[in-house]
Amino acid sequence: MRVGLFIPCYINQLYPQVAIATLELLEKLNVDVYYPNEQTCCGQPLGNSGYEDDSKGACEVFVENFKEYDYIVGPSGSCIYHVKKHFDILEQTSEVIKVRNNAYELCEFIVKVLGKTDLGAKFPHKVGLHKSCHGLRGLHLGSCSERMDSHFSTEEDLLNNVNGLELMSLNRKDECCGFGGTFSVFEEAISVKMGKDRIQDHLDNGVEVITGADHSCLMHLEGMINRNNQPIKVMHIAEILNSSI
Amino acid sequence: MGRDAILKSIKNNKPTLIPSPEINLESFEEEIDVLTAFKEKVALVGGTIIELDSVKNIDTKIKSLYPNISKIISCVDESQLGTILISEKTDPHKLESIELAIVKGELGVAENGAVWISENDFPIRVLPFITNDLTLILNKKNICSNLHEAYKLIGKRKRTFGLFISGPSKTADIEQCLVIGAQGAMSLTILLIDN
Amino acid sequence: MNHAKKAAIFNKNEAKVNWHDKALWYVREKRDNAAHDVKGWEYLREVASGIKANVLSDLDTYLIEFESNATKNGIKVHWASDAEEHNKIVHKVLETHNAKKVVKSKSMLTEECHLNPYLESKGIEVVDTDLGEYIVQIAKETPSHIVLPAIHKTKEEVDALFQEHLGTTPSNGNPEYLTNEARKHLRNKFLEADVAITGVNFAVAETGGIVVCTNEGNADMGAHLAPVHIACMGIEKIIPKEEHLGVFLRLLARSATGQPITTYSSHFNKPSEGSELHIIIVDNGRTEQLSREDFRSSLHCIRCGACMNTCPIYRRSGGHSYDATIPGPIGSILSPGKDLTKHSSLPFASTLCGSCSNVCPVKINIHEQLYKWRQLIVKDVKQPVVKKTVLKIVGKVLRNRTLYNLAGKSARFMLKYAPRFMVYSKLNAWGKARELPEIKNENFDTWYKINRKNNG
Repeated sequence: MRVGLFIPCYINQLYPQVAIATLELLEKLNVDVYYPNEQTCCGQPLGNSGYEDDSKGACEVFVENFKEYDYIVGPSGSCIYHVKKHFDILEQTSEVIKVRNNAYELCEFIVKVLGKTDLGAKFPHKVGLHKSCHGLRGLHLGSCSERMDSHFSTEEDLLNNVNGLELMSLNRKDECCGFGGTFSVFEEAISVKMGKDRIQDHLDNGVEVITGADHSCLMHLEGMINRNNQPIKVMHIAEILNSSI
Repeated sequence: MGRDAILKSIKNNKPTLIPSPEINLESFEEEIDVLTAFKEKVALVGGTIIELDSVKNIDTKIKSLYPNISKIISCVDESQLGTILISEKTDPHKLESIELAIVKGELGVAENGAVWISENDFPIRVLPFITNDLTLILNKKNICSNLHEAYKLIGKRKRTFGLFISGPSKTADIEQCLVIGAQGAMSLTILLIDN
Repeated sequence: MNHAKKAAIFNKNEAKVNWHDKALWYVREKRDNAAHDVKGWEYLREVASGIKANVLSDLDTYLIEFESNATKNGIKVHWASDAEEHNKIVHKVLETHNAKKVVKSKSMLTEECHLNPYLESKGIEVVDTDLGEYIVQIAKETPSHIVLPAIHKTKEEVDALFQEHLGTTPSNGNPEYLTNEARKHLRNKFLEADVAITGVNFAVAETGGIVVCTNEGNADMGAHLAPVHIACMGIEKIIPKEEHLGVFLRLLARSATGQPITTYSSHFNKPSEGSELHIIIVDNGRTEQLSREDFRSSLHCIRCGACMNTCPIYRRSGGHSYDATIPGPIGSILSPGKDLTKHSSLPFASTLCGSCSNVCPVKINIHEQLYKWRQLIVKDVKQPVVKKTVLKIVGKVLRNRTLYNLAGKSARFMLKYAPRFMVYSKLNAWGKARELPEIKNENFDTWYKINRKNNG
């Protein structure tokens, strides 16, 4: 099994520690992981802004970089969702289909493909899980509160097995953080208000560290926490899972 | 413009026929005690529900619930409390000051505490709405589980006017505060009888 | 003014935003509880969606069937291609009966057609009798929510309005008192009305009958007192069989307010003796939406408002920020079809979280349609030069690894070394309320080359 590591552009540039944690985690799980170094971006920011056609080039580069791997794994629910859902704008060659079918968000890959939930990690803190929308509702990483399905959550399965980690309960379990890509800039007032409310929910419930599977959400929340000097930290789930194993 | 233009536009724009889905009603079936569920739901929607031992007790019960009422219309044989007579020819505006209407309920629905009543049961359509208080007489055997069953049971009726009525009129339009008694009847009482 | 600007203004009053947000979240929670109570809820949604899909694919047949059956029962059926025609037909019926006083129960269609101002310009008094609609009518506003029209008004604001228009005594917004005063006032209106106008929740093709749902009983108080009842419906309100009402009535109130059913679900099949019942079937852009494969299923909508209650943006911006008869998520996929330019900001007033699609009782894929409208808007509607140019350049950069590396390096350099005032200038909308991340010394590419250079 050869796994191509997909690192979203903004993680590469701004949060390399998340990429490093992802890589190390997969290696510790004995995965044969490769990093195609010509990769750029999945094209999501363009698609979401209405410039789907202009993103075709980026999507093609993605397929080109990842077509030879059995699985493509990335620490980002929204990017993986974009590949699986919106790469329908490309001609559906066997390579495109293969890439779309085998792209996995990190937690999903660990639980569904590797079949592991207990990674032997240790993180003795009060943690709040932010269930990022694209991963939750797009990739079905878990059940969502507005649907009448039985409860399940890929991220919770992993976090509940982390030694010492206390998963705190939130008032609104899966409300959007307000990042939404260019939404965060073009509808700044609402974006900030939504982020503020999310952070407050975590603070109100005693959370010390907010985590999730999508660093775009976390970047947005962390930006506000830092501006307002709030006593709460933000870490990608890969960093928590990788921290002590 | 108008009918032909609309129908032509639809014909040009509609997609290929998609067949109507088969509905598997068993998916909704539950093992519930319909009487208990019905009573709970009536209370939930703001109605009052009282089980009577005998049909003969209807008038006594109503008198005890509404001791000071004088303008009463009874549309049921089981009650002699009516003080005002009406027919299909009565001007509906004349019902403005009616305090209590007693009407037969044909069918109760357990899932939502609703009762089906129709023009068969009252001669003037506005009556169950314009009356200040409304009492329905319902045979406890005529309670079904859900709306799918209800529509089967009322499916053979002569269709003129009818309604599912669930509790008294209400509104929450002022800051989401629930207020019982909006434009329709201020209260709804269901007397359950066993015939 | 686009949605973003209006939303920013709304957000200046944070207390009000919190109040509005909590009120609607509460309705969403009630909906969740009610849905949990129904065995097979998700299947019920699937069935409802399937019924509507069948209806749209055979809509002309069903409408003809409906008309035939309704007419057989003495109902007068009219057809209107657009809002103007609809208003004219209503007015003609009123004129025939020398009607001067009209009572109206909730009908978003009549809002869409701007019926009230049209009739008022002809000297006809129109009173909206749904309490929420009455409140916005006397406030001279439009409804901000399709089910809870006055959700944006505090009880103190309602109190002030009632003092002014009904002469009530100040009550600190006592809901029981105010509702009772409205009841007395509206009762007179019902008793004096020449004609009652209602909407239609469902029109049943096989029987030619219509169903009107209210909690207050105002549709019935109007329709059964006035000698003429005019019911206005969009073409998409048709359902094939009466038994299908079992599906839709189980979904509607639970989705809208969390009640198991509205207080009154009135089934009109025949006018009462000596009365007239008119039904106006309206297109007004619906057949055009029908032609749009990507957006056709938006016509499934049964106007429950659940999407608005669950939308984190709607809750924090209020219905008026959308500047459309129907606001919120469903409004954002219906309105651009009517006026792409005017409503071009609406599909962007979303993070595409997908919650709306999950609560929709008729399974409209709202969030996917929002995404699709975005693609059309940037092509057909003039975009701000900066946005368009920047994004097109981004497209070029992202498909070219060398440019991408360069851009990445420059951005990192800028963020790391530029003085704070440059980075957090007014141009930086992100930086208004958020810090940018702290820049590490190397990006992942560099780290990988140093630490894992044998792979990849």
